[in-house]
Amino acid sequence: MKQLAYYPGCSLHSSSELYDVQCKMVFRQLGIELKEIDDWNCCGATAAAKTDDFLAVALPARNLGLADATGLGEIMIPCSSCYSRTLVAQKTITSDPGLKEAINAELGHKVKGDIKVSTILEVLLPKVRSGEVASKIVKKLEGLKPACYYGCLLTRFPVDVEATDDVENPQGMESVCTALGAKPIDWGYKTDCCGASASVNDADQSLLLMSRIVGDAAARGANCIVTSCPLCQFNVDAYQDKVGEQYGIAKRLPVYFITELVGVAMGLSATEMQVDRHLVDAMGLLKELNLL
Amino acid sequence: MPSVTVQYDAAAASRLLDEVSERSGQNLKACYQCRKCAAGCPVGEESGVTPDRLIRTILVGDREAAVNNLLVWKCVACYTCGTRCPNNIQTARITETLKQMSKKAHAKPLRPRIADFHASFMTATKHFGRFNELEGMAIYETKTALKDLAKGDVKAVIHEMAGQMKLGFQMMKKKRMHFKLDRVKANGEVKAMYKKAKARSEK
Repeated sequence: MKQLAYYPGCSLHSSSELYDVQCKMVFRQLGIELKEIDDWNCCGATAAAKTDDFLAVALPARNLGLADATGLGEIMIPCSSCYSRTLVAQKTITSDPGLKEAINAELGHKVKGDIKVSTILEVLLPKVRSGEVASKIVKKLEGLKPACYYGCLLTRFPVDVEATDDVENPQGMESVCTALGAKPIDWGYKTDCCGASASVNDADQSLLLMSRIVGDAAARGANCIVTSCPLCQFNVDAYQDKVGEQYGIAKRLPVYFITELVGVAMGLSATEMQVDRHLVDAMGLLKELNLL
Repeated sequence: MPSVTVQYDAAAASRLLDEVSERSGQNLKACYQCRKCAAGCPVGEESGVTPDRLIRTILVGDREAAVNNLLVWKCVACYTCGTRCPNNIQTARITETLKQMSKKAHAKPLRPRIADFHASFMTATKHFGRFNELEGMAIYETKTALKDLAKGDVKAVIHEMAGQMKLGFQMMKKKRMHFKLDRVKANGEVKAMYKKAKARSEK
């Protein structure tokens, strides 16, 4: 089985543990073993970028050193925020040898910085294009009309790095969903911001942003939202009732992780993938469409 | 932003511009006010300031207005402005820089909750090397509650606690709450980075 270095990040070790479980299950089914890098630390997320330029690079750089040490050549980071911070750190130290040296002076595993940092879609899409995913489908996701929600950090970066998908109109998740037999909708808010931690510290702002996302998806006839970012997933899932009440949106849309759709289509158990742990019920629609 | 007359002091303006440009790594002089950033900014309307206005404020040397405006605090770092800028100016890097400059100058944040959240996140991450949600939220909620209580705003404390308890209860029901502490074994390395960061920022 092919091995890939894997960085779950803090979110996948706490409120979004289900995503960690699903990633491992789905990729094992696709012949990839995710090897969690040993003793990783928090990437610093947006908080480090907003408070300290050195830590914003140094924290993910330590993880890059651990990843380099695995010798695996590629690391998959499912969380968009962790992915973005890690990729940006790699780019920053590559162009600033003095900074790299200052960071390496503190590290047991020195960062070389040449490992390939991948999103979950970068690992998944080749498996879709090669037909491997199609060959493992046992249930076509007929009747599922997802609004594919990318959020900010999968395609937009604070420094010049190449985005892996179209910046304004990414299509990776649509390709995956279509291969699974679902019919993704066209909509206008796929790369808009959910507010991330603003849901905690600037709640009114975040609820307004989410109302546009959920409102547009619902108005265009989506029966669910699908995302690959645990921060987007948590916000749009956990605050959807509040958003709906405040902005008069009656419909509630389950917010699936992309792994849940791939897993269900490949016949993995929804309960084992912990699909029953969403705040907006996500099992009901699957039952209704005979996908369980 | 209400229009104000700024006494233009070329030397002071140049100092502010150089400081922000160097720290943020952005070439603010390239801005020709096309306002593509303004059209895409998700918090511009509520902030009353859009990225183009913020850049202009810096160019005219109004240090007070550059540091003390809602965009600096409400910016969600979505990077839409910078991605669409024809001159590759990433204003989110400028808001990050201004926030750090404001802290260094010991200015009172316009939105203390936002500043407190990020500070709490960094404190929690320093303790164990990983962000434990319960710990981080406890630090943040304590800070917020103490400030509200100091202002005598008991209602705000009750409102915040009621909201968090409701969410916490829903999360527990769905097994989304985690009580196990996650920690880095070699956290000395993380702490050394924090120490170095402090020394560098004081330089």
